[in-house]
Parts: sequence; C-alpha cells; structure tokens
Amino acid sequence: MKLDRDLVRKVARLAALELSPGEEEELSGQLTRIVEHFEALREVPDALLAGAGDAPPTPLRRDDSRDGSPGALVAGNAPEFSHGHFVVPRVVSRD
Amino acid sequence: MPGRADALLDGPVRDLAAAVGTGRVRAAEVAETALARAGAAAERLGAFLLVAGESARASAADVDRRVAAGEALPLAGVPLAVKDNIHVAGLPATAGSRILSGFVAPDHATCVERLVRAGAVVVGKTNCDEFGMGSSNENSAFGPVRNPWDLSRVPGGSSGGSAAAVASGAVPLALGTDTGGSVRQPASFTGLVGWKPTYGRVSRYGLVAFASSFDQAGVLARSVEDAALAFGIAAGADPRDSTTLPSPVPDVMSRLGEGVEGRRIGLLAEAESPEGGLHPDVRASFEAAAETLRRAGADVATVSLPRVRLAVPVYYLTATAEASSNLARFDGVRYGARREAGTLASLYRETRSAGFGPEVKRRILLGTFALSSGYHDAYYGLAQKVRALLARDFGEAFRDFDALLCPTSPEPAFRFGEKTADPLSMYLADVFTVPPSLAGLPALSVPSGFSADGLPIGMQLVGPADSEPLLFRLARVIEASAGVTGRRPPAAVA
Repeated sequence: MKLDRDLVRKVARLAALELSPGEEEELSGQLTRIVEHFEALREVPDALLAGAGDAPPTPLRRDDSRDGSPGALVAGNAPEFSHGHFVVPRVVSRD
Repeated sequence: MPGRADALLDGPVRDLAAAVGTGRVRAAEVAETALARAGAAAERLGAFLLVAGESARASAADVDRRVAAGEALPLAGVPLAVKDNIHVAGLPATAGSRILSGFVAPDHATCVERLVRAGAVVVGKTNCDEFGMGSSNENSAFGPVRNPWDLSRVPGGSSGGSAAAVASGAVPLALGTDTGGSVRQPASFTGLVGWKPTYGRVSRYGLVAFASSFDQAGVLARSVEDAALAFGIAAGADPRDSTTLPSPVPDVMSRLGEGVEGRRIGLLAEAESPEGGLHPDVRASFEAAAETLRRAGADVATVSLPRVRLAVPVYYLTATAEASSNLARFDGVRYGARREAGTLASLYRETRSAGFGPEVKRRILLGTFALSSGYHDAYYGLAQKVRALLARDFGEAFRDFDALLCPTSPEPAFRFGEKTADPLSMYLADVFTVPPSLAGLPALSVPSGFSADGLPIGMQLVGPADSEPLLFRLARVIEASAGVTGRRPPAAVA
C-alpha cells in the first residue's frame, strides 16, 4: 500500500514528531517501498498462521515495593526539576 | 618501546587477568596503556565517544587494592569498552543520540556491574548507531566509525564503535547490544568473535531499550576463548529484569576443549539461494567453514528454513513497533535535551523532532504505522504470527540438527554511503542475523577468513536455547583453521 503524505503526517502526529514538507515527501517514498516489500508476509497461508500460536507472555517481576524516589542524578538529569518534581509548561489554566 | 602492559593487552584475556591478579603488573599500568590506545582509536577511527580517564584510573586503583587484599578476580585489570547505550555509573550515555545529550547514567547496567565486579576496568564509551538502529554506524549523531581493516569502509553496526575498539587493539573486550545482529554483524566486518546470548541469559537492566523482546547485551572479543570467559561472568539471572532466565548458566569455559565429533550441523540452504545474495568470497568462506567442521568430525548436511526470507519483514515490523513505544519516553521532560515550547504537546514534538536523527524517525514512523488503528492486524499482528511460525521452524530444524551454520552477513564490509540512499537495502543485509533474534536463540559470529581484497568474513552459528557451550566449541574449530585471529588490521592502534 502507498503511504502518501497525508498518512505520513497522521502517523507523525501520533508519534509526536513534526516533519518538514521535504521530510514528508521523502519518507512517503521510503516507507511505501519498505511496507510494500514487507507485504510478502501475506503469502503465508491462513491455515499455517492459525496454528502458529502466540508469543510467550512476558514474565512479571515480583510485586515488591521499592524506594522509587529520585536520587540526585535523576534530578540532575532533568532539564528542569523543582521540589521533587519534573517541571513542564503549564497544562491547566483558568481561561 | 612496548612495555609489559602492551604485550599483555595484545594477548589472551586470561593471561592479562592472571598477570594483574598475581601482582606481576598493576591494573593501573594496564589502564594507562589502554587509555592511550583508546584515545588513538577515538581520534583515528571515531570508535569512542568518551575516553573515561578519571574513572578508569580510579577503577584500576580499586582493582589493585582488591588484588593486594587477596581477592581472586577472573578479569583483574582487563580494559573494557562499553557501547554508549549501556549504562556505566557516573558516565554519559547518549546511545549515539542528541536527544540524550548531557544524560549521566545513575547506576551500572547489570552486565557492566558483573564484569566490573570481576575486575574489568571500563576505559570508555563507544560510538554506535543512534539507539542501536543501523547496520553501518553511519547513523550516530556524533559521526561515523571507520573500519580498521579499511578506513573507507563501515565497521558494521550498530555496535561499530565496540567492534573498532577491539579490532584496532585498543581493548581486548567490549560490550555491545544485539537486537537484530548489532554485535554479530560488526564482529563479522572487523574480524572478531561476537556473541548474542540466548534471550534472557544476560540482563537487560541498564540498556537503553530499543526493542525489548529482542534486545540483548553481548560481547565482542578477539578470540572465542576471550568471549567464552566473558560469557560466564556477564550471564545470569537478575531480579531487576524479569525476562532473565532463572536456570543455571551453562558452563562454556570448561567444555571449550571438547570435540565436535558426531555433532549434526545444518548448512542453511537459503544462504545459497539467489535471495541470499552471497558475495562470492563469502560463499567460498561458507563452504570452507563447512568443510572444516566436517574434517573435525561433525556430521554436516543442508537444511532448509523456507520461511527464513520473511524474517526481515517480521523483524522490521515488530522491532520498530516496540521502538515506537520504548522511545516515547524521550520527550524532554525527565532527561536529555529539551526544546522549550509554549505547551506540553509542542515541547514533546519539538524536542523529539530536533533530537532524533533520520533513521530513528523513520523507524518510529514505521512502528507507529504498524501499530496504528486500521493497520495493526495487517502488519504488526500478522508479523507476530509469522514470528511464532519462524520460531516453530527453528524448533523443527533442531530436531535433526544440533546447530546451524550460515554467513553472518551476505557480504564483507561495504563502503560509506553505499546503502544510505536506500534504507530497505540496508535492512535486507540483515537477512541472516535477524532470524535467530526473532526466536530468542543464541548466535555467534566467528571469523572464517578474508575476502580477496583483505576484508574479514564471519560465519554465524545458531543453536537452540542455552546451546552456547556447543556454539563456542564449534566456533573454536572454525577459528583455529581460519587464520584471522591474531592478525592486526592496517589501522591498529597497538
């Protein structure tokens, strides 16, 4: 299938990426070529797929409580950190 | 004039560790020599993003104290290079990406912790394709790595810096990560042994996640024995990674000298097909490696895995889907570079758009597409089913064979820029390394010879889960007849 510029733009929005018109154009061509090649997977008969089984579930860690408070390096790695919290632009306003 | 440390750095890891462990040479002296070599490898090859002089000297001094106190350390004073997507406490970890500029690892990855506890000294962080996404090391935000065998060619990727660091003689051991071949393919391109463990055998704690159901830390070394020594130390269960295997680690070292008589080896028939696209020199090396195993008493025959050609589509749909989820965490809030913006949504978008390179964006988009509403079942869902089918195909092959042999890469190291214009051609070159990754199987690349123009060629051995003892033994047989180990590349720093 063709991934046209509109679809590339929609997927980029889902991925929180902004693309220039030139990037959209280039990626549309590249992703179309890649995805069309990958459609070879459709050659596998349904009957075989039905019997393929599922991937094994990921084992879970023990549900033990741990100290998750940020250490000095965690705070130091943050672009902005204040009073034990990561600082981001305001997301709620009175307006 | 070369000193004691120079000679030890060029020899087997166990001899170096024994010399430091018995006080014949100090870890501090070895570290100074390795730091000088790492500096040269950084300058000439771009192999290192950081040469960690201060921390390496402190770590070496600690090793000397522990040795003086009578502690037995199997890697006493052995210099180690660590790929920059693996955490080393107190050192930057960029994963080759601008979006992680300024990030400092809060603690050791488990695999690093285990090697350091055994006496290894981390001398630096190595260059890599951004977030481990690439097969040529041309996708690092901090510049390419050059192959010490031919500076006009790539060292492979994504662990290209680790490969160049070992191949050039800067260090005897390096850690890399292997999601779809990122340890094995660069090992093949640079004349090294590269081991990807059985999934779960080495902890992923402290690795910058790319595709969690594939990612494994692995070792690059000059010889099978050096890699086997590191295997026994790096592997093991870890409560911080629930996917690690609770079973005992197979003993590789004590069985390394056992023979391979009667072992059933399957030669991957699809490697010889037109789709395999084998370079004639790689084909000749494949045939020679098979003959070597036959002469050593192995029972060698051809085996077909007809669906193996679907492994590249399956890998690039599932691994990119996992990447699109894993890399969502890079949003400019908790770590790394941030682009200031008026709203939280625009902060995310601007930070990510400025911070990620083209290949990472391409893979995030491919993975997001494969997971998106309306396309999920036709792409990601289908790929997952075929993944299970491929794992079943391997299981059936291992009823008749103890291990499989195929080239690690269809061709020797290629030139810079040769594949960058066509991402699909770069992906298709992973045709032999991604199948075992999909099934979580152990795989190892061992040098098998040289091309006519002097480039190393590697063969890949694949076995069922936990078959590392056999894979290392088979690799040792090929290594012994290949005549690669011990040869120095033209751009060696030693």
